[in-house]
Amino acid sequence: MSRISLRNVTVDYPIYNSRSMSLRNNLIAIGTGGRISKETRGIVSVTALDDITLELEHGDRVGLAGHNGSGKSTLLRTMAGVFRPVKGQIHVEGRVSTVFGLGAGLVPELSGYENIVRMAMMLGSTRSEAEAIIEDVERFSELGNFLSVPVSTYSDGMRTRLSFGVATAAHPDILLVDEVFGAGDAEFQKRAERRMEEFIEKSSIFVLASHNSQLLERFCNRSIRLEHGKIIESEETA
Amino acid sequence: MSAIFHNVSLAWYFAWSDMRARYKRSVLGPFWLVLGTGIGVVGLGLVWSVLLNTERSEFIPALTVGLVLWQAISGAITGSTTVFARSASVIKNIKTPSWRISLELVFQQTVNLIHNFVVIVFVLLVYPQDIGFAALLVIPGLVLVFMNIFWIAQVLGFVGARYRDFDPLVSALMPILFFLSPVLYQSRQLGSLDVISKLNPIAYWIEIVRNPLLGSVPALSDYLVVVAMTIAGFLLATWMTRARGHRLPYWI
Repeated sequence: MSRISLRNVTVDYPIYNSRSMSLRNNLIAIGTGGRISKETRGIVSVTALDDITLELEHGDRVGLAGHNGSGKSTLLRTMAGVFRPVKGQIHVEGRVSTVFGLGAGLVPELSGYENIVRMAMMLGSTRSEAEAIIEDVERFSELGNFLSVPVSTYSDGMRTRLSFGVATAAHPDILLVDEVFGAGDAEFQKRAERRMEEFIEKSSIFVLASHNSQLLERFCNRSIRLEHGKIIESEETA
Repeated sequence: MSAIFHNVSLAWYFAWSDMRARYKRSVLGPFWLVLGTGIGVVGLGLVWSVLLNTERSEFIPALTVGLVLWQAISGAITGSTTVFARSASVIKNIKTPSWRISLELVFQQTVNLIHNFVVIVFVLLVYPQDIGFAALLVIPGLVLVFMNIFWIAQVLGFVGARYRDFDPLVSALMPILFFLSPVLYQSRQLGSLDVISKLNPIAYWIEIVRNPLLGSVPALSDYLVVVAMTIAGFLLATWMTRARGHRLPYWI
């Protein structure tokens, strides 16, 4: 049974300026006791998630809403295990699959087929499992012969088709999706939505971050609104 | 445990598929690499055997092994400072243990070295060495060298991800390191300057791989030093990864 539980989770982003990214400046600062290079320690930290407590269980389809920079993507990445909270605990049970950003993790020089296998393996499949999903991704992405050419020749929409196809084909228990429907033509969006519906029936937890309130309403049965890294609204919708 | 195995096999598979992709549209494929090494061996061999006034049949085999090994070592070191930055889109989007990324780099160098072995075999056919079963010691030697390359790639990877000017610094140091390492010469030829090779870790790595291929058994003390280095290095890399690994997505 899959589950995501966050208890008092806080995530801080350190933001480095170009001086603090420099070894030379840091060495000067150590050597001179910080007298010469005062700006060196210019590391600002931004609180991206502030004391979030959240319990997601089997059957939860969560829509994350909020302005740019409200913490939606950070929350998704924290759930995916990319970011580690500085405070609080996070506990995730179940196999996680992610669709973040356009073509994240794709290798441009490799063909579509090779990228399918790579991505699926990175998301936790074994080699044979990864090869088994090729057919499914082929059918869904409708990229046809393009799958044999390097991904560098793909348009944004085609990359989205590929990553989305792989992420949903691997039969994860938990699917985390970060606003990907912007790219891709109307016909693909329809097909992606249909696939998401199918997927939601099979999988147990689904989290979607989007600015499109129609999309959130359609797919989600819980809605969470974030602002400045805090949950300001959380309700059951459907 | 199974997660470790999964990640190791992933790194190996990715290293191979990268190799395939890199040379897909060229006629010679990865043998461009072998050709490059071959040209290097012939060029350096002819010039330096004259300059150093040594016998070619003795100099060229030693140079070849040293050069092939140096390519793997320097490739891993110069590549490691940007290894995490180059995989930024993976690290920022998919839960990935950082060591898998640096292991992939080490495996790429392993694949290169396997190809370059063609040159070594060729040179040893032209200039046969008096080798026996001791040559098999090259295998544990290479394993130890690659284990060392692995922790170094991980540690330098972290420093390079945190400090952007570390990459040019390392690139600037590599040529000096080349001349301080016994690639063009053998440690015993250093005479009173022998302390250089005693302090240079790379000298030990070259010794334990080159000597077996040239028909001599490396000194036990060389093995002890390398084993100690491996243990200390793995401890350092593990500590660094535990302490700072979670910050990596913010650095790159």
